[in-house]
Amino acid sequence: MIANKISNFFHQTNLNLFLNSWHWLYAGLGIGLTALALAWFMGKRLGVTGGFVDACSLATGSVSSSWRIWFLIGLPLGGLVATIGQWNWTLTYGTLDAFTYGDPWIKGIWLFLSGIMIGFGARWAGGCTSGNSIMGVALGSKMSILATLGFLAAGAIVANILFKAVL
Amino acid sequence: MAIARKVKTSPKPRKAAKVIVKSKSKKVSASLSLSSVFVFILFGFFFGFFLSKARATDYDSIQDMFRFKDFQLYGVIGTAILVVAAGLFLTHRFKKPTLSGKALDWQPLKFEPTRLIGALLFGAGWALAGSCPGTVLTQLGEGKIFAVFTIAGIAVGVWAFQKWQPKDSNNSTC
Repeated sequence: MIANKISNFFHQTNLNLFLNSWHWLYAGLGIGLTALALAWFMGKRLGVTGGFVDACSLATGSVSSSWRIWFLIGLPLGGLVATIGQWNWTLTYGTLDAFTYGDPWIKGIWLFLSGIMIGFGARWAGGCTSGNSIMGVALGSKMSILATLGFLAAGAIVANILFKAVL
Repeated sequence: MAIARKVKTSPKPRKAAKVIVKSKSKKVSASLSLSSVFVFILFGFFFGFFLSKARATDYDSIQDMFRFKDFQLYGVIGTAILVVAAGLFLTHRFKKPTLSGKALDWQPLKFEPTRLIGALLFGAGWALAGSCPGTVLTQLGEGKIFAVFTIAGIAVGVWAFQKWQPKDSNNSTC
């Protein structure tokens, strides 16, 4: 298998950089420098939710070209290369499999409904993690700081209830 | 040699082509050149790559963050904020907000406490789905097929908000 050969290559050459996840400092530096370069060299503010809006506008024909859509296309490519050597299609989704008793229908509906909350909430809050928590907070926007505290508070409550009530 | 080079890079035919493209479709407000398309894909690529390496695309990693069991993602987000803040502070100090000379495309959000409701909704969704709009697309590249359900949900949520508050967006009529 070609996939196995690629996997063996990365293991033999001991390129742990490509096989393991990174310490938060290096990963944070990478994300920060990407966002900074985008602002410095392209004059753009990092944000993903806006890309979803533009993609939606593209579907209705009111926008025909947007840098954000191209940016979104790059994201899965990054995920693909980051997992090179151990890449495979997977139906698993961490502890969510336990939350949904391994039922793919419950899992799909669960993720779809959460997605609606994410999309609607991110637009209402004026941005998601990248636009509000990273760029907004870095630029000292009061609204972004409040939104980030809101993300954290709601997320902490929901995650703790999930693990206590469902598991 | 110099003359040959000049002839080769003569901008005349290109300009003519651009004019034709513009007159063809009036919808295009800011059509991107092929090279900037490539650069933006590259930025997305790096963002996705680092998100994946940060473990931000892992369901249990998000849960560990929200349950205060793992410092990893707080460290990642905190470092990213510091890098961006320090970098932009430096260039603003020297009165050059961006190195390309263009102004940074940024209008701070008005402080409206009702937006906190949206933030709470987003935070709850983030914890339930274990992903946010950026990481869920990266998950798709990692081969996590179930991410398509979250992506579909986000699209519906974004569309619904647009129907409810059409004026909130700056440039779209979705």
